[in-house]
Amino acid sequence: MDTGLTQAENRELEQRLQKRQVKEFMNVFGSLVDNCFTSCVDDFTSKAMSNRENGCISRCVLKSMSTQTRLGERFGELNAAMAQEMQKRM
Amino acid sequence: MSFLGFGRPQPTSAEKIAAVENELKVVAEMHSRMVKICTMKCVDKTYREGELTKGEGVCLDRCAAKFFEAHQSISEQLQKETQARGGAGGFMG
Repeated sequence: MDTGLTQAENRELEQRLQKRQVKEFMNVFGSLVDNCFTSCVDDFTSKAMSNRENGCISRCVLKSMSTQTRLGERFGELNAAMAQEMQKRM
Repeated sequence: MSFLGFGRPQPTSAEKIAAVENELKVVAEMHSRMVKICTMKCVDKTYREGELTKGEGVCLDRCAAKFFEAHQSISEQLQKETQARGGAGGFMG
């Protein structure tokens, strides 16, 4: 991506983006926990997680990661198409 | 964005970096919102399976496409309406 920045500026940008990526990962992780816990855990008659709950959470994690992948691909395609469309209009 | 004023200072290094970073931030936020909403709308919350079903997958694809289309049309309409109401509508991406 041609950002029009010098090499030094690009390095600074890269550092900032890396920090953002870490933050973003923590956000995704947090959402995953919130979402899977909310969907799977309902039974507070016991302190220990049941097999059902553990299985549900495991499936939830797998499914959520597949969803992220799929939507990531679609987003990339759609975003590129939108950017192209805007270029045409300018 | 063009700077037509005479003697107007060039954007500083920090401003240029911040501009690029900000643009990427906007895109990343849109991505994050789309994932949350489309997951809510398309994925079965009982998690009986660990894999996306074909139906869920197709729903996600369509949800993403419609999300972008809604983004576009809302952006256009908002700009139009803001101008009609005499507002100094900013540049909407």
